[in-house]
Amino acid sequence: MPLINFAAREINYKIVYYGCGLCGKTTNLQYIHRKINPEARGKLVSIATEEERTLYFDFLPLTLGTVKGMQTRFHLYTVPGQSYYNASRKLVLQGVDGVIFVADSQITRLDENVESYLNLWDNLLSQGDDLSKLGFVIQMNKRDLGDVFSVEDLNELLNHTGSPVTESSAVIGEGVFDTLKVVCKQVIAKTG
Amino acid sequence: MARRKGLVINDRQLDRCDDLLQKLKEVSGSSFLALISTSGQPITTASDTYHPETLSLASLAASSFAATQQLARILDENEFTLLFHEGSALNLHVSQVNEQVLLIVTFGRETQVGKVRLYTQRAIEVLRQIFDGPDDGTTPTMDADFESSAGTAIDDLFKDV
Repeated sequence: MPLINFAAREINYKIVYYGCGLCGKTTNLQYIHRKINPEARGKLVSIATEEERTLYFDFLPLTLGTVKGMQTRFHLYTVPGQSYYNASRKLVLQGVDGVIFVADSQITRLDENVESYLNLWDNLLSQGDDLSKLGFVIQMNKRDLGDVFSVEDLNELLNHTGSPVTESSAVIGEGVFDTLKVVCKQVIAKTG
Repeated sequence: MARRKGLVINDRQLDRCDDLLQKLKEVSGSSFLALISTSGQPITTASDTYHPETLSLASLAASSFAATQQLARILDENEFTLLFHEGSALNLHVSQVNEQVLLIVTFGRETQVGKVRLYTQRAIEVLRQIFDGPDDGTTPTMDADFESSAGTAIDDLFKDV
């Protein structure tokens, strides 16, 4: 559930980009940061290694503006994708309202996608969350590359919840905002 | 591990928090104070002259604190209840109010750490009563049209990108 501050007339939602290493989570956030109206976003904070791999998280706050008298914000986070950073991923998931699972569509990345997907649900369940209140979207990324799974196949392999699916090429921005739009609307609908 | 449940703050709670933070700032000699959620979202601040980027600060402080809690577990310690960073000009003190709320205090080298710790601990006891006390029935509900209005605002925000 989001933080609702009636006194300050503010509501904040937390959205997390999840997925295996190098699937494009940070690329999504960097594209949003570059393209969205600068007045609607804050600073992009990245805790990364010297090789620019995410060590802890990236963070980008977006302001939707005032809706029905409430200043409405979305706080976007990524997690570190590499498998040995699971402790950090769990921490970033705390208090999450919506998850975008970024799947790398390349056939060679199937094992990493499945591992990350199972790891996501393990971590959410270990938090004791009410998952019916969680926004969830699967973004099939890297559609611009060759040797990728069809959307139907990837959907069958990864989408056991029947959640909304989007297609993207985050590096050129295709589908980035479409995905974000879906999850933003979901979290508002699910958490009120 | 924090469970996902709503943190809803009403006028009375915020007024009491603001009063308390202001007093804490004065008696402790600190320069900036913020209440934030453990998921990294700011609730309220008290500051005269020093205005850090609150959203980023809240996100980083909450994450650091969460990491500290996990370090405690790995070291078989029940919990580390505060996080302290000492800088050349500024110190940062983060402490836990309850399962959902953290208190950030920054103060300069001229202020004694012990003084900040003492008054912060006293303030936390009062803050716990504010957040953990029974619901006094004054918390309003969301506007029924919020979802549809927010949907329109989302479409507008993303339409030209």
